[in-house]
Formats: sequence, C-alpha cells, structure tokens
Amino acid sequence: MNKLEIFKNGVTTENPILVQQVGMCATLAITTSLINGIGMGVAVIAVLTGSNIVISLLRKFIPDEVRIPSFIIVIAAFTTIIDLLMHAYTFELYKALGVFIPLIVVNCIILARAEAFASKNSLSDSIIDGLGMGLGYLVAMILLSSVREILGNGTILGFRILPEAYEPMMMAIQPPGAFILLGLLIGIVNYLSRRKKA
Amino acid sequence: MKNNFVKLAGVLLIIGAVSAGVLAWLNDVTSDRIAQNEAMASMDPAILEAVMPGSVMFNDYEDTALVDTIKADNNKFINLLTAVDESGNELGKVIRTWSTVKGFNGDLELYVGFTPDGQISGTSVISHAETEGVGSKVTLLAFTEQFIGKDASGEISEGDYDAVSGATYSSKSFLSAVNNAINVYAEYVK
Repeated sequence: MNKLEIFKNGVTTENPILVQQVGMCATLAITTSLINGIGMGVAVIAVLTGSNIVISLLRKFIPDEVRIPSFIIVIAAFTTIIDLLMHAYTFELYKALGVFIPLIVVNCIILARAEAFASKNSLSDSIIDGLGMGLGYLVAMILLSSVREILGNGTILGFRILPEAYEPMMMAIQPPGAFILLGLLIGIVNYLSRRKKA
Repeated sequence: MKNNFVKLAGVLLIIGAVSAGVLAWLNDVTSDRIAQNEAMASMDPAILEAVMPGSVMFNDYEDTALVDTIKADNNKFINLLTAVDESGNELGKVIRTWSTVKGFNGDLELYVGFTPDGQISGTSVISHAETEGVGSKVTLLAFTEQFIGKDASGEISEGDYDAVSGATYSSKSFLSAVNNAINVYAEYVK
C-alpha cells in the first residue's frame, strides 16, 4: 500500500466514524456544536498520531503478551499530555470539551489503530495512518456537529444563520437527535459510495 | 518461563516509568499557567460587572473565621467576597456557591452579588456542565437579569421566576444556588 492510499483510506474508504463506526460514544456526546466537534477532532488527531508514532517505534520492543496494556499506557500518557496542554494554552476550548478529553483514552479508534496498524507497520506509514484516520474523524465530527448546531440552535460557530423566528429543533442537540442524525449521515454516505461503485 | 515473566513485567515497568516521568515534567511546566487560567476565569471583568456593576475586584472577606464557620455549616458554600470599585470602596458582598439541587449534568457554580441594602445586584455562572445550547442558556443575561433587584430577605420561590423553556432542571439548579446564597447572606452576613 503506498502512502497516499493509506492516507485516503483513513479519510474516506475506512473512515473511522462513517464506515468503521468505532468510538461512537464521544462522537454522539460531543457534537452539540461545531466548535466542540472541531476541538475534539483536533485533539484526536494529536493523540492518534502521537500514539501511532510511539507504538510503531516500540513495536519490536513490546512483547505480544503485554501489547494491550502497553498500548493503553502510551495512549493514556498522550491523552494526559493533550489535556494538560489544552488546559494551559487553550483554556476556552478546554472548558467546552471538559470531561471528553480524558475519554479519548478509551476511544476505540486509537487502540484500534495501534493494534491493527501501528504495531505492524513502519514509522512513516504509521504517522500517515494516524493523520489520515484523525482527519477522517475530524471531517465526520465537523459534518455531524454543524448539522446538529444549525438544526438545534439556528447558529453555526455561534453566529446566527437561521432567522430569529426559527424555533430550534431541541432534539437535534440532545442524545436521541445525535443517534438519528448520525444514522442519516451514515446512510447518505453509504448511498453515495454505492452509487459511485455502480 | 520465569525469565519470560520477568521480561514482560520489565517492559511494562519501563513503559510506565517513562510515561510517568514525561507527565511529571509536563505537569511541572504547565501547572503555573493552569492555576493562572483558573484564577483569571473566575475574575473575568465581564463576570465582575454582571455580578456587581462597577466593581473591579472581589477580595476575600476579612473575617476568615466567619467564612470557615459558614463552610462548616453549609457544604455547598464556597467563599464570601467583598466587591470593591476602582478607588477601593466596598460596593457589596458576593457569595460564591454551588447549587443545592443538581442540574441536568451536576451542580452549577455561581457568584451571587448583594447590595448593602439587601438586594441581589447580579449573578453569574462560573462553571456548569449543562447541555450546550439548551441548559447553558441559564448562563445568559436574558435569564439571569430577572434576579437583579430581587429582595434577598427570603428564598425566591419557583413561582417568582421564569425558567428557561426546555431547561427546567438547569433553571431549578440555578435557582437553588441563588437561594443558597440568599440563605447564607441572611443568616451570616446581614
């Protein structure tokens, strides 16, 4: 697999949310507004790429029997690093994302990429895989969170785009709306990708 | 077999120790800035103005023994502060408190300001975990301004304020924090 293919895989053909559908709980919970979606997406790119780099470098050093606990330690360390850096340097965003940052540790995308890719591939491929998968995650977060913010609040990034008279569809930013809209989004993506193949 | 066991444990130990070392170092580097951020966030000029118009600073109340007594009696109470203007004149008292009734996602943290004649001068939510766009509306002036000028001699009942539609839990939680501040004010400060 060449580098471009690995990258494209993450964003489109194997998009972690829209195709693989892993790491859904944070996705459903956080996407109430676009700024949250972008913040979470960027944080995941950083953790995913960081953990892919370290795990790829250590892949010969880590024995098979203890690989999962080792991966978890590395991922937890990177998540804490991001948590501390955001708390210190992007305080507003940190307040908005709150409890979801520590939850990146248990986000299956990161462990899945460590297990399925970084532990078996070279450093450069792993970096590209981390960036690609992370970007795919970010794109899906942006799609879902913009739809939810527009429908549920009539705004985008806090700016009102629908007229005041629009009565916000409260459900869109509540958990049931998250499930329904994510389902519709995946449906649309499936429809489009099938039509492209046919 | 035994050898293998030592090797497995050793690898985990090394990874754990290196991670811990890096985190300890980073924590050291960022802790000052984080503390500064937290302090700034609760002393934002916009918040001061909303809680006590004209104030430039909230100082700790001088009678620390009283503050400790209130803390011991009221576990939601956080701090009693004195709001001062540019020339250092006292404008009134400010109580920092948690809500006593949980909102949709836990307690709200509020400043409630009191004028010397016993009216609420303003309120501000310092921290909350309510749903963005729904419960978070209790942080907006459109909701909080109705408390300005309310008499602080007794609790505000649920019939005396307008809850945010669709955010009843958040509104009730907000009200409980205001009432907790009123109770503390009436009992210890006035």
